[in-house]
Formats: sequence, C-alpha cells, structure tokens
Amino acid sequence: MVLDLTMSMAILALMGALATIAGCLEDLESDVGSQSNPNSQVQLAPQMNFLHRIYNKAISGEPISNGLSAVTGGIVTTVLLNAKFFPLLAIVVGAFIAAIIYGIFATTSYAGRVASQTRFKQPLYMDIMRYTTPSIIAHNFVVCFCLVAIAYIQYAVLGYPFTIPFLALIWGISVGAIGSSVGDVHYGGEREFQNREFGCGLNTALSGRIVRRAESGLRNSIDNVWFCAKFGGPATGIGLGLTVFFSSWPTTIWGYTWTAIGVGVFIVAIMAVMNRLVEIQVKNAYGPYKEDKTEKEAGA
Amino acid sequence: MSDIKEISPNTLALFGIIGGLIGIYLSPLYPPFTSTFGALGAICAVIWGAEAVRRVAKYGLGTGVPSIGQIAMGMGIIAAMFGLAIVKAMPLAGPIVSLITASVIGFIIGWFAQNVIKMKIPVMIRCMTEIAAAGALVIIGFSAAVAGSYDFTRSLIPLVFDNGVMLAVFWVGAMAMLHPFNACLGPDEKQKRLLYLAASTGAITMAIIGIAAVMTLGASGVITLLLGIILWLIFYKKFWDEVYKDAAAVVGTGLIPKTEA
Amino acid sequence: MVAIDPTMLMNIFLIGISGTLICIAVHFIPVGGAPAAMAQATGIGTGTVELAAGSGLVGLITSSYMYAYEPQASMALVMAAGAMGSAIMLASTMLAGGLIYAYGVAVPFASAQVKKDPITGQRQDTYVSKGTQGQGIPTICFVSGVVGAAFGGAGGGLIYFVLMGIYSPLISASAAAVAGVFTMGVFYVNSVIPSYGVGGTIEGIHDPKFRRVVPKDTITSFVVSLICGLVAVLIAGGMV
Repeated sequence: MVLDLTMSMAILALMGALATIAGCLEDLESDVGSQSNPNSQVQLAPQMNFLHRIYNKAISGEPISNGLSAVTGGIVTTVLLNAKFFPLLAIVVGAFIAAIIYGIFATTSYAGRVASQTRFKQPLYMDIMRYTTPSIIAHNFVVCFCLVAIAYIQYAVLGYPFTIPFLALIWGISVGAIGSSVGDVHYGGEREFQNREFGCGLNTALSGRIVRRAESGLRNSIDNVWFCAKFGGPATGIGLGLTVFFSSWPTTIWGYTWTAIGVGVFIVAIMAVMNRLVEIQVKNAYGPYKEDKTEKEAGA
Repeated sequence: MSDIKEISPNTLALFGIIGGLIGIYLSPLYPPFTSTFGALGAICAVIWGAEAVRRVAKYGLGTGVPSIGQIAMGMGIIAAMFGLAIVKAMPLAGPIVSLITASVIGFIIGWFAQNVIKMKIPVMIRCMTEIAAAGALVIIGFSAAVAGSYDFTRSLIPLVFDNGVMLAVFWVGAMAMLHPFNACLGPDEKQKRLLYLAASTGAITMAIIGIAAVMTLGASGVITLLLGIILWLIFYKKFWDEVYKDAAAVVGTGLIPKTEA
Repeated sequence: MVAIDPTMLMNIFLIGISGTLICIAVHFIPVGGAPAAMAQATGIGTGTVELAAGSGLVGLITSSYMYAYEPQASMALVMAAGAMGSAIMLASTMLAGGLIYAYGVAVPFASAQVKKDPITGQRQDTYVSKGTQGQGIPTICFVSGVVGAAFGGAGGGLIYFVLMGIYSPLISASAAAVAGVFTMGVFYVNSVIPSYGVGGTIEGIHDPKFRRVVPKDTITSFVVSLICGLVAVLIAGGMV
C-alpha cells in the first residue's frame, strides 16, 4: 500500500471503469468477427447447406487472441515508455499497433477457414472482409487500450511486482475468458438462432442452421454486433468490472489480513445467492417442460 | 487426405531442428548484428511446430486446437529455462540440452495422454514430443533475437525476463504455432497454404520481437523489425495466392448462392 | 548443489502439489464448451483451459501483490489471497453469464447429470428442454465452480510462493519475473492435461465423469508437476 485510502479507492474505481469498458468492447469485438464457441455454428453452417455472409474470425479462443493483442500492446508500450514517451501516448500507440496485428490475424483466419470449405461452395466475400476488419480493429483498439492502461496503473502506480506485458497478458486472458463465458452466450444462444422457440434451450437438431436474414436484407456480422450491444456486451463489462474491483477491494480496505480473505468469501457467497435468486425466477417463468410420471399419476 | 504431394513430417522436423539450431548458434557471433538470425531460426521452428500441430489436431482433441499450442509453450518455456540455466560451464550446450529436455517432457506428457488419460490418438506421443521441442526452439530463438545471446543469467534474465519481453515471446510464439492450423481448419485444408501461413505468423512475431529488440539492442533491432515485415509481406501474399486458388469463389459482393436448404 | 536436501525435496513436493491443485481445479469448474454457448449444455460456455487459466492467473496477480507487500505473509495467507482472487473472478463470470442465460436467451438453469440439485434439492430433469443436455448454471455448478477456482488460485499462489523462496536469494530483483513466467508455464501444462481427460466438458463435482477421470488426471498432473518442480530447483542451481 503506497497510497492513502481515498486515493487507492479512486484508483480502484478508475480500474473498475476501464475494465467495464474493456469487457463490453471485447464481447462486441468477438461478435463482430464471430469468434470462439458460437463461431462453431458459423463454421458448421455451410456443411448443412446454409451458406452465409458472416465473418469467420477463428483466431483461436478469445482468451488467447485477447492475450495476444494485450501482450503486444504491453510490449510496444514498454518500449515507448523506455524511450521516454508520455504514458498516455505510449499506451495509445501500443494499442494501435496491437490492434493492427490483431486485424491481420483476423483476415488470415477468415480467408483460411473459407478456403478450407471449398466442397460446400461457401464463397469468400471481399466486401465483408473490407468493412468488417476495420470494425474488428477499432473494437480491439479500445479493449487493448483499457487493458494496457490497467496494467500501467498496476505497475507504475500500485507497484505490482510484474511488468506491464505480464499484467496486460493476464488481464487479456481474463477478459477473453469472461467474454467467451458471458457475452458469447447472447450471440450464440440467441442471435444466431433467433428463429427458435423462445424460453427453451437450443435443440441439438438445429445445430448449424443459423439465421441468415437480417432485419433488412442478408445478415452480416455488423448486424450481430448491433444486437449484442444491447445486452451481451454490457453484461460482459459488468463481469470484468466486478472481477477487477472486488478482487482488490477487500485487500485495499482491510489490508493483507485474514479479515480481507473473509470479506472475499462473503462477496462470493452473496453472488451465489444472487445466482440462486435468478435461477428461481427463471425456473418459474419458463416452467418445467415435462411432467413427472409419479406426479401425473398422483394427479389422475 | 488428398492426392497433392505433401512435404513429409520428417523433412519438416529436420528443417525445424537444423534451421532453428543454426539460427540460434549464429545469433551471438557478432553482437548485436547477428541477433536477427535467432528470429530466423525461430521461424523455421514455428513452421515445424505448425505442421506437428496440424497432424495431431486433425484427430480432434476435444478442447480445440489452441490448447495444444498452450501446452507446447508451457513445456517449451520450462525446458528452455532449464536447458539454458543448467549448463553454466559451457553455454554452447544450452540450446541442445533445452531441445532434449523439451523432447523428454513432451514424450512423458504424450505417453501419459495416450496411456493414462487414454486419448487414443496414434500420433499423440510423437507430435507432443515434436511440439514441445519446437516450442523450446521458438522460445530460445526469439529470446536470443531480443537479448543478442542465449546466456541465461547474463543476457536473458536482464534483457528478456525483467522487462516482460518473455511474455510476448511465450504468447505470440504460441499463437504463431497454433494459429496456422486453427485458421485453416476445415475439410479442404491444404498443407501448402498452412505452411505459408505459418511462415507469415512467424514473421509477424519476428516484427514484434524486432520492436522489443529496438529497446534492448538499439539499432540492430531495426534490422529484425524490417526483415520481419518484409518476410511477412512475402508470405502473406503467398498465403493469399493460395486462398484465391483454393476457395470455392472469391467475390466482391453478392447474394448467397442457391442451395437445397 | 547438494543432491538430497530436505528443503529442496520439500520444494519439489510443494510444486508437485500445486500443479495437482490446478489440475483438480479444472474438474470442479462447470464448463460446457461450445454447446453451452448455444444453451445446449449445462455450464459456462467456454473452454476448460482458458477459464481455469483466466481465473487462476487473476489469483496469481492478487497473491503476488500480497507477497510483494507482506513479505512475512505465511504460505497459507498467500494461497488464500490467490484463492480469493480466482473465486471472485469466476463468481462474477458465472453471475453475469447467468444473467444472459436467464434474460438474454431465456432458459431455466438445469443440470442434466443429476435428478435433484444436491444443494437446493430442486428437480432438474423436468427443466431440461428438448434436445439439449441441460442449460445454464444451477446452484450446484456455481458452488462447485467457486470451489474449483479457489483451488486453482491457491495452487498458482503456492507455486509462486515456493519459487520466490528459491529464486529471491539468488537473483533478487528479477525473481518475480522468472517465478511468474515459470508459474505460467506450469499453469498451462496443468490446465491442458485435465482438459484432455474430461474431453472439453464437465459439469462439476456432481458429474459422474468427475469420479471417472479425476484419479488418472491427478496422477498424470502430479508426476508432470514433480518433474517441473525438479526442473525449477535445478534452474536455481544454474543461477549461482
């Protein structure tokens, strides 16, 4: 603890805000390029004779790809800081270079995956490539900026023992893990299969039969991000914001003691209870799908 | 798979090992100008590793392609640190000891995966060994390009570990190896396209390493950076040529072609 | 270097234990892989490796910070700090994910592996919708996930603690960087091995798969981590 309590709380709040923005934009970036698990359906669709106009950005899973961009941004920032640049400028330039490299990886995976689906006659649409890739780069720039900024604050202000690239990499992996656990469900479970029956899970028989028509015209990845920005993105942001804030909050207030650990356990318990409340509500709302045999007999 | 002639795994393994070791051994000769060779050697190892990932990941691992790249670099980094640190009396032996250690760790994990976890992938042991060895060479090669030498305590710790460049080597190197197969995944995947892509991802990594080398080695880092960008342009272009040749159709825009569905 | 030294053996053993903790952690975390992202299976909709790594590394950040500012902190406290960071990360993820399942996709949470939730006692099988393997994150999965993440974070904190103890006297300023990188390597090896064991998806402690795969994954992980521990100690020999 190098700062007084007010200042550390201010820093913590700033980090929480940056993390929230990063989480939100990370999820939207994975939707605009169609990445991670929901992308398995985009990959499967041509095989089911569902040719489509959706980007196929398979830069591995989100944690790894975001780790890539964050660590690249961290390295460039470190180099620029070493050359006595202003921190803000260094972070911006670092994030920009990282986002460009990320965009290059994105183009290779779209081209590579489509070229490997020749037998299903899936065409490679160059207009999709041209206007989706800049959008991916733009989203990733914001994510990378926020993550490297968090890493810079932790390294330079709070004095963490790890370097900027290391901290940026860890936050990149975390934002990817949260983004693919939270926001992707909105894209994969809802947006890709908007034509399924509401209030139940996706029948396995529907796998690969993604929705290909948009509110107007043929659906592309920009339409998907428009939809997911309403819920999936913000929820991811809340997920990462809570993580960054609450993982440091107990130790900031109570110091490095067992009390702080106890408070952490208490926070986790509250989250479990909240999850249970949501579970109860949603189970009552959509109800059981099949009656129990013994109950039926009893009713008769 | 296809009737097109593929380069055999043994040729690529030899190319990776010999190319990688030559690059690594050339890197400290006339510091700091020869450090670029370390990165070139690492690109050879990336191509080898990408091919090994391709062979094992074709079987479907249950957790996606990226996991194998991660475990490769996890093993690679442990083995590389060990090999370079243990031979303090004769630093020349370092890279070879690392290569052997990585192979042994890879073999053990592959053996356990095959016989204890029972993954039933016939090429598991061989590919795990190859991937771990390639991972170690990638890490040593790129580290040498940043530090100008592969001496663990005198060069690598102050120039690669302290400033966090190691993390970039670790992560971007893993991406360079696992991305080619992941990006070309599909029934009509072709080895030639994948190898061009592997060279291109390796070259991007080299460019990033070049940026880091500007900080540690000064002007000679610019050579690594520029050479990385030039190599990337060449192989990226070649990759796109293959895409134009292989894809069902490359169209500017258009409606979805009619199918039965 | 002394060949057999009790402290050294203890260090190797502790690294072996911490690798095993990470391996066990992966089994506790309810991961449904790609099907879960489409609300076709119970659990979190992502891969086992990255979720374990993502939460465990957040734990590494919290435990390393504690080690840096409380050098006298006991091993248990460093491990607990790591466990707390990881558990909070996974709890926030599952809570936010649950909101999407409930209000974005609109599916009731249900486990396909058990008839009744062992914690709440609520029926599960009747809530599994047609053509799926359960969906969402029911209470048992939530609790199991939090416990698992705590194991992972504790394991990461333990390796870091042990390695710092070995490397700090030798390379004082650089010890954190080397120990951090090594921890990351061990982390990835030990989170990928069990992922291959569970085949990408597991619901948590109540899943029958849990009992089937835990023993062999644990043995594999323990042996591999012991080798890593041996390597870590030998690296220190090269630093003198």
